[in-house]
Amino acid sequence: MKRNSSINKNSSGYFFVLPFIIIFLIFGFWPLVNTFRLSFTDTILMSRKFKYVGLDNFVHIFKDPSFIKAFKNTAYIWILNFIPQIGLAMLFSVWFTSKKLKLKGVGLFRTLFYLPNVLMPAAIAALFASLFDFYGPANQLLVRLGIFSEGMMFFRNPSFSQALVIYIQWFMWFGQTIIILMAGMTSISGDFYESAMIDGANSGQMFRKITLPMLRPVMVYTLVTSLVGGMQMFDIPFMLTDGRGAPNGSIMTANVFMYLKYSSNKGHIGLASTVGVTIFIITSIVALAIFKILKDPDDIEKNKRK
Amino acid sequence: MKYRTKVNIERTIVYFILFIITIICIVPIWLLLVNSTRSTPEIQSGISFLPSNNLLVNYRVLAGRGLNIWRAVGNSFFISVFSTLFGVYFSVMTAYGLKVYHFKGKKFLNNFILILVLVPMQTSIIGFYQYMSKLHLLNSYIPLIVPAAAAAPTVFFAIQYLDAIIIKDLIHAARIDGCSEFMIFQKVMLPIATPGMFTLAIFGFVASWNNFFIPFILISKMEKYTLPMLVQSLRGDVYKTELGGIYLGLAMSIFPILVVYSFFAKSIVSGIAMGAVKE
Repeated sequence: MKRNSSINKNSSGYFFVLPFIIIFLIFGFWPLVNTFRLSFTDTILMSRKFKYVGLDNFVHIFKDPSFIKAFKNTAYIWILNFIPQIGLAMLFSVWFTSKKLKLKGVGLFRTLFYLPNVLMPAAIAALFASLFDFYGPANQLLVRLGIFSEGMMFFRNPSFSQALVIYIQWFMWFGQTIIILMAGMTSISGDFYESAMIDGANSGQMFRKITLPMLRPVMVYTLVTSLVGGMQMFDIPFMLTDGRGAPNGSIMTANVFMYLKYSSNKGHIGLASTVGVTIFIITSIVALAIFKILKDPDDIEKNKRK
Repeated sequence: MKYRTKVNIERTIVYFILFIITIICIVPIWLLLVNSTRSTPEIQSGISFLPSNNLLVNYRVLAGRGLNIWRAVGNSFFISVFSTLFGVYFSVMTAYGLKVYHFKGKKFLNNFILILVLVPMQTSIIGFYQYMSKLHLLNSYIPLIVPAAAAAPTVFFAIQYLDAIIIKDLIHAARIDGCSEFMIFQKVMLPIATPGMFTLAIFGFVASWNNFFIPFILISKMEKYTLPMLVQSLRGDVYKTELGGIYLGLAMSIFPILVVYSFFAKSIVSGIAMGAVKE
């Protein structure tokens, strides 16, 4: 009798997850399937007729130098923003949790560092575009200080434009990384450090032998979420210049490229889907590889010792 | 004594670096707000950290050139509020189902949600767009609101949160009192989960408010524009030389979030840590 009722109760679990499943199937799963399906077709927005073209779209984009460039840009911009992001976050987290330094106002610093992340990327892009406008304050300052003899066309310079996108991405995300790493560090039990201290370890040794290995899961989380987000980069590079990756395609990212295919005269949504699917597959492979390589530190250590 | 001096020097250097990074974070945002009160010639003449008195003139420029900023504010507000309510309610409901009951396929669903956290909707935006156009839902807010109910990251956070607060005895007691399973969720669980739901709601609201890409793809009617879309059109030709007006538009689009953040920064910061560190 009792058993029966508990089984009945358990089946009402379905009722609670049902809305999620239905809405996911309609608005999540089917669009994804549809995107894969479209990626094998020559569908354009202007026509109802389409045919399946196999892997032609994939061959096409991999032969397209602008796609290769867009993809390389995305990876380049992501990596160059991630390295200083994680480095600085590591340093700051060590400072913030340091028992030796006993910093005051840690909460306030974290709050201020995270602030750029909650602001609208569209507004941030517009702001930086105007700060570095030819007639903007950056030029005025540099000329007045005598660093430049005359104003510089910042957005005619590919390297500068890339650097600015990298900077803005860093600016928006380093606060989040600090919060996550710090949470990881404070969750490490103090016992480890105490016994290490008794054994006479210095702070550098403790960081390398205790903090870093214990932080590994959190680092993997940060790396993977940042990678997934970074490969989707759109708002900032799209709005900083002309929306076509100017100057010289230097800040054209994979998603901007996808958007351009979609918004082209005919609306090549078949090709645009192929771009989406390609980014999806590459991101998944890299994310899986990261999990595989970094997940089992004990195994790796053991193998090394052998 | 010597050790103490060394630590003090180190601490001073650390504070100095933190101070510089703080400046880097705040100055651009401060300049944005200040410039919304300055006239275009003032803005062009250089940086100032002090507000001026041109706010009303800027407002007249911003409002007088065909872009209806209040409409965009209203649209964004509508979408953000409803997608947040939808998202939080159904995510907690899903998490509750997964935490309290044991049913076939539960483990699969659990793992599936974990994987989904890493699949951003943007990858399938084109298929989403085409499907919505077949359903005649372009220029509708339904595709911007309803999918929030199936947002894996929100469910993931809700699961983490419920982990800490579900009290089996309370559920059991309610059952003995004859509560239906849904009423237990509604009357027992939701009140207990309110603080966590509030954190989720802030995240949901901010994400929806700032979202540009998806509405940009789905919406083409001017009167349906959201705020980020309006910010994008501000940079078009009509406003090109009206820097004061542009800055006011930017300021208006970040101001509500600044207010929300200044009140609830604490729960936002603790919310981020909640997802990342699970023991």
